[in-house]
Amino acid sequence: MRVVHYLNQFFGGIGAEEHAGAELEFRAGAVGPGKLLEELFGDGAQIILTIVCGDNHAVEHQEEIIAAVVEKLKNTPADLFVAGPCFDAGRYGMAAGALCNAVQSQLGIPAVSAMHEENPGVDLYREALYIVDSGASTLKMREVLARMASIGKKLVGKEEIGLPAAAGYLARGLLRDQLVKEKAATRLVNMLLTKLRNDKFTSEMAPTAFAPVPMPAAVKDVSKAKVMLITDGGLVPKGNPDRIQGTAATRWGAYNIQGRDDLCAADYEVSHGGYDTRFVQESPDRLVPLDALREMEKNGVIGKLHDEFLSTCGRSNPLSNTRRLGREMVEKIKREGVDAVILTST
Amino acid sequence: MVGSNRVVLGTGIVHVTGDAKLPMAEEKELRRKLVQQALDALQSSEKR
Repeated sequence: MRVVHYLNQFFGGIGAEEHAGAELEFRAGAVGPGKLLEELFGDGAQIILTIVCGDNHAVEHQEEIIAAVVEKLKNTPADLFVAGPCFDAGRYGMAAGALCNAVQSQLGIPAVSAMHEENPGVDLYREALYIVDSGASTLKMREVLARMASIGKKLVGKEEIGLPAAAGYLARGLLRDQLVKEKAATRLVNMLLTKLRNDKFTSEMAPTAFAPVPMPAAVKDVSKAKVMLITDGGLVPKGNPDRIQGTAATRWGAYNIQGRDDLCAADYEVSHGGYDTRFVQESPDRLVPLDALREMEKNGVIGKLHDEFLSTCGRSNPLSNTRRLGREMVEKIKREGVDAVILTST
Repeated sequence: MVGSNRVVLGTGIVHVTGDAKLPMAEEKELRRKLVQQALDALQSSEKR
C-alpha cells in the first residue's frame, strides 16, 4: 500500500508558530509521525510522499495548495491519502480537511484525517470524510495513528468501516438501514431500565448540536434595499413544476412575481405535509406576504421587491440536506444583489 | 427557527402572515404590521 501523508510545519519538523508561513513542500518518504504511522500500517505499507505546509500559508492560499497537491498526486501512484492528526489545531484541520476532500473527490483516492471534535475542520468536512476523533492532546498520538491506519486499510481494501463509535471516527451524519434483533419497544424499555439503574446507555438518536450563527449586519436603509421573500412553507405554482417534495424536500424553486400585486389562489398550491394548508391555499399572501411588500415598494418603504420568491418545504428534513438547500439559495441571493431577505416559516 | 437572529412571531403555523378569522381589510392591516416588524428587525442589530 502506497500512502501520501500531509503534515503542518510543526509535525513536519520545520518549527512552531513562527514558521506558520512556510510554503508547500514535497518530501520523499515518511516524516515525523509518519514514521510511526508507516509502522502501524504494517504489511509493507509505505509512505511514499510527505507533503508539508505552514498553517498560515495553507489557509491563506488554500486553492493554490489544493491545485498543487492534486497536480502532484496525478503523477504519484498513491492508494491512500492521510492528513494529520491535527488535534485541536484549527488551521491545520481546515487545510487537512480541504486537501482530503479534494484528493478524494477529484482523484478518487480515499482519504482519512484525525481531529478534535471542536476543530473547525470537523464542521466543514465531517460529512465528506472519515475523521478520527483524536481528542485535543498529542499524548494519544500512537492510539490515534493506529485508528487512522485501521480505517485507511479498510478504505483501500473497500471493506466496511463500521459505526463511528466502534471504529473511532466522528459521526458523519449519514443514515443507513440496519437489521436488529430486538424491536424498538424492547430496546426502548431496556434503555429506560438501564437509565433508571444509573448505568451507561447509548441513545439511538444523537442530539443535534447547532453551532451559533453570527448575526448578519443590519440593513442600513431598507428604503434603498432590494428585498427578497423566501418561504419554507411549500408554496409552489399550480402543478408544482419543480416537484418539490412535501416532506424531506431535496429541491427548492424560484417563482416569478413580476407585475403581480398579490398571490392569486388559483395560481398556486402548497406542497407541505406538515400543516393544514387550507388557509394558505385560500390566500397565499398568508404565507408569502406579496401584497404588503408590493404596497411598500410602491410607497418607497423598501427600495425594490425582488422579481422572484424562493420556496421549499421545511418538513422533516435532515440538516445535511437543508444546509445544502440554504447554500444554494445564498449563491443565488448574492448573485442577484439581494440586500435583505424575509423568510416566512410554518 | 434555531440559529435565527431576527425573528418576528407570526400569527400561527397555518397562516404565518395572516389570520383567517379576520375580515379581509383587517387581515391585510395585520400583514402590513408583521412585514413592517420584519423590516424593522432587518434594520436593527438587536437580537430578537
